Amino acid sequence: MNRAIRRLSIASLVLFVLLMVNVNYLQVFRVNTLAAEAGNARVFDLQFKNWRGEIIAAGDTGGADQVVAKSKLVKGGIYKRAYPLGKEYAPVTGYDSILGTTSPFGLTGIEQAENKFLAGTAPSLAVYNLKGLFTGKPKQGASVYLTISPRAQEAAYQALVAMGKPAAAVAINPRTGAILAMASYPTFNPNAYTTLDSGQLAKVDKRIRTNPNGLLLNRAINDTFPPGSTFKLVTSSAAFTTGKVANQNATIPAPTAYLLPGSHTSLLNDGGAPCGNGHPTMVYALTVSCNTAFAKLGDTVGGSALHNMANAYGFNNPNLTIPLPVTPSAYPGPAADAPALTDPAQIALSAIGQFNDTETPLQEAMVAATIANHGTTMRPYLVGQIKAPDQSTVQTAQPTALAHPITSAQAGYLTAMMEGVTQNPSGTAYQTAGPPSTTILIAGKTGTAQNGVNNSHLDDAVFTCFAPASNPTIAVGVIVKGGGFGADAAAPIALKIIQAYLRQH
Amino acid sequence: MTAARNMAEYPTSDTSRRAVALPRGRRGAELAMLCFAVGIMAFAYIAAGLGLNGHVPSGLVTFVAVFAVLMVLAHLVVRKFASWADPLLLPLAAVLNGLGIVMIYRLQESGRGGNPGLPIITLTSHAALYQLMWTAVGIAAFIAVLIVIREPRVLQRYTYTLGTIGLILLAIPALLPSSLSSVNGAKVWIILGGFSIQPGEFARIALAVFFAGYLVAKRDVLSLAGRRFMGIDLPRARDLGPILVLWAISMLILIFESDIGTSALFFGLFIAMLYIATQRKSWLLIGLLLFVAGALLAGTVIPHVHERFTIWLHPFDPHTIYSSSEQLAQGLEGMAFGGIFGTGLGLGEPFRTPLVQSDFIFTGFGEELGLTGLMALLLIFGLLVQRGLRAAMATRDPFAKLLAAGLSFVIALQVFIIVGGVTQLIPLTGITTPFLSQGGSSLVASWMVIAVLMRVSDTARRPAPQPIQDEGLTQVVRAV
Repeated sequence: MNRAIRRLSIASLVLFVLLMVNVNYLQVFRVNTLAAEAGNARVFDLQFKNWRGEIIAAGDTGGADQVVAKSKLVKGGIYKRAYPLGKEYAPVTGYDSILGTTSPFGLTGIEQAENKFLAGTAPSLAVYNLKGLFTGKPKQGASVYLTISPRAQEAAYQALVAMGKPAAAVAINPRTGAILAMASYPTFNPNAYTTLDSGQLAKVDKRIRTNPNGLLLNRAINDTFPPGSTFKLVTSSAAFTTGKVANQNATIPAPTAYLLPGSHTSLLNDGGAPCGNGHPTMVYALTVSCNTAFAKLGDTVGGSALHNMANAYGFNNPNLTIPLPVTPSAYPGPAADAPALTDPAQIALSAIGQFNDTETPLQEAMVAATIANHGTTMRPYLVGQIKAPDQSTVQTAQPTALAHPITSAQAGYLTAMMEGVTQNPSGTAYQTAGPPSTTILIAGKTGTAQNGVNNSHLDDAVFTCFAPASNPTIAVGVIVKGGGFGADAAAPIALKIIQAYLRQH
Repeated sequence: MTAARNMAEYPTSDTSRRAVALPRGRRGAELAMLCFAVGIMAFAYIAAGLGLNGHVPSGLVTFVAVFAVLMVLAHLVVRKFASWADPLLLPLAAVLNGLGIVMIYRLQESGRGGNPGLPIITLTSHAALYQLMWTAVGIAAFIAVLIVIREPRVLQRYTYTLGTIGLILLAIPALLPSSLSSVNGAKVWIILGGFSIQPGEFARIALAVFFAGYLVAKRDVLSLAGRRFMGIDLPRARDLGPILVLWAISMLILIFESDIGTSALFFGLFIAMLYIATQRKSWLLIGLLLFVAGALLAGTVIPHVHERFTIWLHPFDPHTIYSSSEQLAQGLEGMAFGGIFGTGLGLGEPFRTPLVQSDFIFTGFGEELGLTGLMALLLIFGLLVQRGLRAAMATRDPFAKLLAAGLSFVIALQVFIIVGGVTQLIPLTGITTPFLSQGGSSLVASWMVIAVLMRVSDTARRPAPQPIQDEGLTQVVRAV
């Protein structure tokens, strides 16, 4: 009988070897396939078990950093996301819901764009995480340091709330392209998305997503508006670079009414007023924002030159990310890939920002920033630094130039013209951004864009500016939908941001 | 006092035996390994508490102390009543039993009392305590078997009695109304009040005894008399009849109780014992063919079994992933999540796998102790089987040989069926994992099997009686 028992014992051994081989196969070779199975709850839950990196607004040199997104340990060893300043930073942070990367709507904003670092899955964090594996520390994400200035951001958001109309404001450091403020109104509270209850999340998401006011829309970079008269800066730039106009003191023809070529429509200035003596200097034409002067100038420069200049300033770029993807501003529009205009009437209208031109508030700020930075457009960016949990720097932003639309001298001409807007008592922003309101020397340009069919909608108010004009450290773009005159609605918001950032009145 | 003087005055049998270099009982080694097993249980218990909520569990001292006392008690009984038994069997069973209690504790705590995870609704908040109580019952049964059965051949006398008891035990749940016998679709229980037992677990031991007794009595006729048909020696029908009838009845009962796993286990036990008794490979061949044919037939005819095959092949089918194949899919994902080193006790999410405390406890260990832990568990099971088979080889009594080999092989088969099932090696059939799964019947029956194996190995290793040298010791006259 022992021979049979011996054989049986070999059979048992075979059974155990089969089990061991299979368990090895499962827990070593099939790990990745099983982890990637749809709906793997354990992998899904990992996001709550690891400490997710913080998002910190660190753009105030010498000022305090502001944590705007953090992970809190709640009951049961689970981390829950929190946004201490909620709506103020919503367009920047976005939200991190329990759906995470499993849904296209699971993450938005910086939470999505820098998810790899925040979640700690980026390859550059591998060495750090390896250390954690042996020390038994749970995996931690890296923290994202934003270029946002807490002071400027607060001022921007509070000013938009006080205005109470759909609006957005963007502030840029013109020297680097670092975004100092990015606010949008109305917006949502990202804390609503941090619930750990999927049923509750679905309810919250439905309520916010279907809100007619478009709460999830980041108007600063994902909504476009007619630029209105602020586009005259681009037209002027094209006039200087093509040599049609020598400098800011050269005179240009400005009829009281400009019969649009090839049509029976006459273009008038605001209120039908004449523009000086009919031959104003560039400075005066911009100071009082003559429509006829710049419409005619547009025709003199030509559709192709305007198109090139707009492109150089950053229009029609579908690939810009900050790292949030930016909706392209369009000239001549309506789409970013529209060809240059050839019809003189359309060119004339587009030259004063009234045809199909559209732009984002970010683009608005980029135009002012370029002029402030001696004619060089810097790539705008939100993320200054990424730091591993041990505070070692993983990544630092390198300011890069996008384009050089104008020379330093031409930037000087435009600065002088923009100073006229705020400093000359007849300037369109003299009351709101000039000596009556502030001691800061602001160079700016107002815009009041008609829109809707037959201009039936309320005008959009636009303001683009930089300060201090002598040595600019901040450039701002503000658009208020239905705000009326740009000087009335948009300029005060820009002023508040500048005052907060410069800590001056 | 008298006992102590006796020890001093007379040379103990131990010392006289050592003089002639006979094998030793190695009880000291057993105690040392037992302490190690209790230590593993204690540390695992602490680790589970720390993993769950960062605190050492409040019941630590009670649990470990009770468990240690039970194991030492078992050891003392072995020392007295089976002093030559294999020293490995008891510690191996103890470490499995201890780890099972810890895992059940960890699962019962999940999502309760502020711990992370979700509560397991099929598990009460006193499950670990019950498991400890059942361990006590198991050790009592272990002790009872060792004390009552002094020689394996005692059992042989009750061959037919135990065969009948086994059949009755199997039949009771099938005859009882479902309300008193059915849990989760398997009609294998006897439910009385809040108390439920699975008689099949005990029937297995009774039937193993019956098979052993019957086959030993008939093995000569089974292997010698008969006809040769197509190159295979077939036994006479009258010799094989009773055993086939009994086997067929037990199979029918099991199919009616929808317990395919146990039925496969009985089948394997039967074939293995038949093979050992007759030494004919033809039995293995016939058995395997019958089994494969039966499995395929059941797979096509019985919808319930067919579904098992589908789940086995496609556990992640989106149509079944949240219903019938959820358990297997969750178990596999859990094991993958554990990887090589596991998440650590209390740090995984085994609560996601339905019934992880019983059929799927192995995947729970896989998740939290990882591949490392599973290899250790499989080695412990393998060692247990090997020690049992070694006892079978060592003993001279054919009945004991057959019984020990059958009971050992059935442990291997049981582990293979359930572990292979939950790791997608073979289609899943729900049976318990010996010593680990929650459930009293399985635990008590497993301890009884260990007791029988230890009794067999004790008989095998016990030296032949020495010639009597000291006449003074022979004065006790027993009147019968």
